[in-house]
Amino acid sequence: MPSTDSSTPSDHSKPEIAQTRQVPRHAIAVLGNPNVGKTTLFNRLAGIRAKTSNFPGTTQEARVAHVQLPISIDEANTDAQAGIASVLIDLPGIYSLNLDLSESRVCRQVLDGSLAPAGETARVPDALLVVIDATNLMRNLSIVGESISRRLPTIVAVNMIDAARRKGIHIDAAKLSECLGCKVVLCSARTGEGLDTLVEQLTSAKIPDRSAPTDQAGIERWAQSIYEQVSAGSTGNQDDSLTDRLDRAFTHPVLGLLSFVAIMTGLFWTIFKFAAYPMDWIDLWFGHAGNWVGAILPAGPIHDLMVDGVIAGVGGTVIFLPQICLLFFMLALLEGTGYLARAAFVIDRALRPFGMSGHAFVPLLSSHACAIPGIMAARAIPDRRDRLATILVAPFMSCTARIPVYVLLTTILFPGEPMRQALAFTMCYVLGVAAGLFTSLLFRRTILRGKSRPMALELPSYRVPDLKSALLLTFDRGMVFLKKAGTMILAISIVLWWLGAYPHSDPTQASLDLRAQAESIVQSTPDAEPSLQAQSLFDEADALDTRNAAKNSMLGRLGSGFQPVFAPLGYDRQLTVGVLASFAAREVFVSTMAVQVAGSDDVEDETVLGSIANATKDDGSPMFTPATSWSLLIFYVLASLCLPTLVVTAKEAGGWKWAMLQLGWMSMVAYAGALIAYQSVLFFGGA
Amino acid sequence: MIEAPSISSQPAQPSTQIESKSIPMTQLMRGQTGRIDCTQAHPDECSMLRAMGLRPDASVQMCRLGEPCIVSLSGACRIGLAKDIASRVMVHIDD
Repeated sequence: MPSTDSSTPSDHSKPEIAQTRQVPRHAIAVLGNPNVGKTTLFNRLAGIRAKTSNFPGTTQEARVAHVQLPISIDEANTDAQAGIASVLIDLPGIYSLNLDLSESRVCRQVLDGSLAPAGETARVPDALLVVIDATNLMRNLSIVGESISRRLPTIVAVNMIDAARRKGIHIDAAKLSECLGCKVVLCSARTGEGLDTLVEQLTSAKIPDRSAPTDQAGIERWAQSIYEQVSAGSTGNQDDSLTDRLDRAFTHPVLGLLSFVAIMTGLFWTIFKFAAYPMDWIDLWFGHAGNWVGAILPAGPIHDLMVDGVIAGVGGTVIFLPQICLLFFMLALLEGTGYLARAAFVIDRALRPFGMSGHAFVPLLSSHACAIPGIMAARAIPDRRDRLATILVAPFMSCTARIPVYVLLTTILFPGEPMRQALAFTMCYVLGVAAGLFTSLLFRRTILRGKSRPMALELPSYRVPDLKSALLLTFDRGMVFLKKAGTMILAISIVLWWLGAYPHSDPTQASLDLRAQAESIVQSTPDAEPSLQAQSLFDEADALDTRNAAKNSMLGRLGSGFQPVFAPLGYDRQLTVGVLASFAAREVFVSTMAVQVAGSDDVEDETVLGSIANATKDDGSPMFTPATSWSLLIFYVLASLCLPTLVVTAKEAGGWKWAMLQLGWMSMVAYAGALIAYQSVLFFGGA
Repeated sequence: MIEAPSISSQPAQPSTQIESKSIPMTQLMRGQTGRIDCTQAHPDECSMLRAMGLRPDASVQMCRLGEPCIVSLSGACRIGLAKDIASRVMVHIDD
């Protein structure tokens, strides 16, 4: 008879699992329904060692952790090592292994040994840990039945046992173990109860000596019969008036929308308020790093590459890390409360007329921080056409990389008028959302024809969110952002720096004349410090050389070549270079313009912002007229100026044709919008 | 190998044992309970709903009517359904 291990409520210590660097010889797949606390349990077992990994060729991801599991008493005599190097694989939450869904397919393939997360060897797992919810035992037993039919060493963790006790539910673990033919551990991932016992049992799981039917109806009857034998206490529908009232409020057509707006406003306020400080610190740190590296490296290509390419590129990316981390942290907390599933239904009502479903809510919300995690979050959308529509629309949401450009242009448009600046800023966000909805409507009536799939979602119980899980997820997402987006943007920044720095140009005659003039002033007053006038002439000569170098560089020539395309929008050569450089990352526009017009990329300096605002074209006319500024603002709201986003779109949508469609469509809309803005302002006399 | 205790050999418990007429879930009143008869939807959708626990003979209580329709499943979990789906889930009203 299989052994049974139930723990006592006092057994709440954190399980002791050491980190391993050995080649894992024991692979354990963690399987279970959504909302059963599977990931919380996994995080408890793995801690900070867990990392997110993709399944190659799919859009599904798993969390993987290499750990050292203690040897069970049964094996201790035959293995003298301190523990068994193991890999834990947290599979996507699924309701059934047999559904025709991407998540179910991935789980089947992992259990068959034909698929493994990237970096792991595909093999049949040595053990299967099935996590089930003690408060919803009957439904959860179905996936246990499907699992034991796989004939893998299996152990069942009956999670949320503390919540079950509070509901008056009693589960006979010994009887359950007997019915299933495998070990059963009662536990609570939130309190830590039973986890030591679970860890001890993980390496000694045995193939169940019972079987279950294989057809759906048979499994349902099997689950019901076992449930009746092992569960006692509270059954049937209970009065839960608080949950009822909250559900009715949060999904109410008016109250639900108001709650949603209030919660999201709070979320964004928190993100923008609290991310500002670490962003300033990071900005300052990279500024100092640039100065320090600039001071110790001799002038030359290596100096320029390090300061203008590597440090500026990495700094420009890392500066957005606080916002990304805060967004994921807040979303994880919100998800932990159980609210997000309700919000999805509120948004479903608003999005459905435009051909999207409430499943698009989290991806579109995340896209307001950065379209990359937003597009990746679209993986959770079950319907392919719904998912594609969401991916194509996501980059229209105003991401944080657009903010520096919005700030620059609204400041130029409305100097000293904060109220009008704020209105223009808000208009940018509204315009992005409106363009996204219109795009979805258009695509769902043409290339992605069909109604979006109606929603059926489990609504998790309202809970106090688990802070530790939220922090672990945030850490993990932050690392993913740094590794993927950072390296990608770094590479692009280096390429752009190279294009902008070569070929070198000789100083112009005008700058040589200015320097000669400055030298004569300096020599005429040898005992004193160079006068302000001399310094000003040197600065002017530097700016002329920088502008000349930029004009004759490969990027500059590219700008001159493309300028006729952007001429109807009011952009000169320098603005064209700024727009083209933005393909690396939108925020690059500000520093590119700063370099071009002032010969300096210190955009934090007010005088530099002022010099951009007062910049002139090659013919001496103002660069940023109201018409040009509006045109640029509209263009940046609507354009797909982000190469990393296109790469992620191609990957997540399943081909470059979707990325090209996104680029083509957004460019067309942006061009048309900017043209209309430019010509309209000119027509109404805005110059 | 031992077969699980006398489950698979049991005859099915078809919903026809319940003699009352089935109605769409959306016609349940708030607070009213019923037992699921069948789901008139695409087979994939039916399989998904069954896996979520909305299987024949499962007890459901109507918590919220309209869009979305929220039901409590045997008091164990809550499921939100678009009205379009809920109207295709047929239930017998409990006495």
